[in-house]
Amino acid sequence: MVDLAVRIAGVTFANPVLLASGTCNYGEELSALIDFARLGGLVTKTITLRPRAGNPPPRTVETAAGMLNSIGLQNPGIETFAVVHWPFLKALPTRVVVNIAGETVDEFAELAARVDALGGVEAMELNISCPNVSKGGMLFGSDPAAAAAAVGAARRATRLPVIAKLTPHVADIAEVARAVEAAGADAVSLINTLVGMAVDLERRRPVLGGVTGGLSGPAIKPVALAMVWKTARAVRVPVIGIGGIASARDALEFIVAGASAVQVGTATFVQPRACIEIAEGIRAHCEQRGVSAVGSLVGSLIVRGPRA
Amino acid sequence: MSAAIEDGLARVVASAQVAEAVQHTGLAAPWVAARAVPGQFVQLRVSTGLSPLLRLPLSIAGVDAARGLIEVIYAVVGPKTALLGRMSVGTAVGCLGPLGHGFEVRASRPRAVLVGGGVGLAPLLYLGSSLRALGQPTVLLAGARTGRQHLPEFLLARAADRVLRSSDDGSVGHRGPVTDLLADELEGGCGVYACGPRAMLREVAARCRSRGAPCQVSVEEYMACGLGVCMGCAVAVRAPGPAPAHGRYQRACVEGPVFAADALDWEDHG
Repeated sequence: MVDLAVRIAGVTFANPVLLASGTCNYGEELSALIDFARLGGLVTKTITLRPRAGNPPPRTVETAAGMLNSIGLQNPGIETFAVVHWPFLKALPTRVVVNIAGETVDEFAELAARVDALGGVEAMELNISCPNVSKGGMLFGSDPAAAAAAVGAARRATRLPVIAKLTPHVADIAEVARAVEAAGADAVSLINTLVGMAVDLERRRPVLGGVTGGLSGPAIKPVALAMVWKTARAVRVPVIGIGGIASARDALEFIVAGASAVQVGTATFVQPRACIEIAEGIRAHCEQRGVSAVGSLVGSLIVRGPRA
Repeated sequence: MSAAIEDGLARVVASAQVAEAVQHTGLAAPWVAARAVPGQFVQLRVSTGLSPLLRLPLSIAGVDAARGLIEVIYAVVGPKTALLGRMSVGTAVGCLGPLGHGFEVRASRPRAVLVGGGVGLAPLLYLGSSLRALGQPTVLLAGARTGRQHLPEFLLARAADRVLRSSDDGSVGHRGPVTDLLADELEGGCGVYACGPRAMLREVAARCRSRGAPCQVSVEEYMACGLGVCMGCAVAVRAPGPAPAHGRYQRACVEGPVFAADALDWEDHG
């Protein structure tokens, strides 16, 4: 028997594979296709204080080994979320992490308090890394002091575990990770999407209504792996790896590089059951290698050479 | 509704080019055939590699529920449609469906009017055969850029009692946009169903509004998940819809792809 359970910020997840924010909405749509009891957990689509209509279409386009999105945090706002979506999520047989984004530091505090009051939330993930909004989002995450301010505000407003979701658009992600750790983050998750663009040459126009968007999918996996490795060496809190994970092998690479858990996003669009297959694949890998607990693989990367 | 969606491996049972750069493929997908209604679509996984990555959304053009078969008709315009078009009989392809909100089929007199442009005709073929099975008088207005891009008669004929064609170059049927053909067919009691380029849909919607004819349109948007989880295939609506989550934008893959023409904000984009 392989022990797949992982403990992050005091929360035990049945396995290290979670559905990433923005790729599973609030769980309803996927419930017909996947058995949530077999997931490590689910991270909701970002909730904001007020409803957001989102960005003008087109919002997605496929690129080489990936895709761009410019959704713009379309969501019904915390009030409607609490009434319409939370009861369903709360009843799911998996751990639910609620993702929130404020436009200001005060909004992060207010949202954290409101999520805390929902009851039954395992943890919250702070989106300080969205590339598709004009206020908040990446503007917080790309500056260590601003990132720490948002995390600190949320930290003081809740007793729930706080996970900071980081952007790759920084000179040194380890510095931001240390800043949010010092501000009270119980874990960090990374990476959010990379800013990208697609051009329609015939029409000489950007493909996306938002002009630029966030790049996700296998194309960004090497970038994410490097950042997870750097971050895991820089902080004591757990790191959750995100970025182009489409197979158990991908997930295990992140775990070996230092991730205590992973989130699967774009792969769910290709295979709704990807998350479950990845968790099963991790189990099979451990069985074959005689690994009794997946936790023992975390950060087990052997690095030799000048950069070590 | 969502409880009926399944992901499985379909098999190609037949595939043929039916017009210039247009392919017609039959798939054995009993879980889709058993439940699909006209206007719904499937998400096909035509490659298991990294590029192309996402699935290919295609409208269902016909269903044989007894034999568990569905048909798709598509323009071969990119790597995914090229891959699907080249698949030989027996090839397995991941097939998620049936997806989306389809046409609401209602009795209309003196006739139902189906208006399609290019491969936008695909969902109308399934719709038309369903309408005819209900004894509904049906006319199909079929447009294409050129005669060579027109679907063959045997496909069009099953969708309607009468088929009128148009082409931009005049090589087949009326010379000009297919919406020109609406003038003689559209009466107040007609139910109108349309699928095609956005400019065509906008014109159909405007004509129906002026005649007081109820019109449903099937829209095409860039789509990532097809399941309603990514919010990528946003369509602007005139008034916030019943689902508070979606506000100004609704999802082509869940609330659509078929919408009441009057519900859409035609000025938004396109």
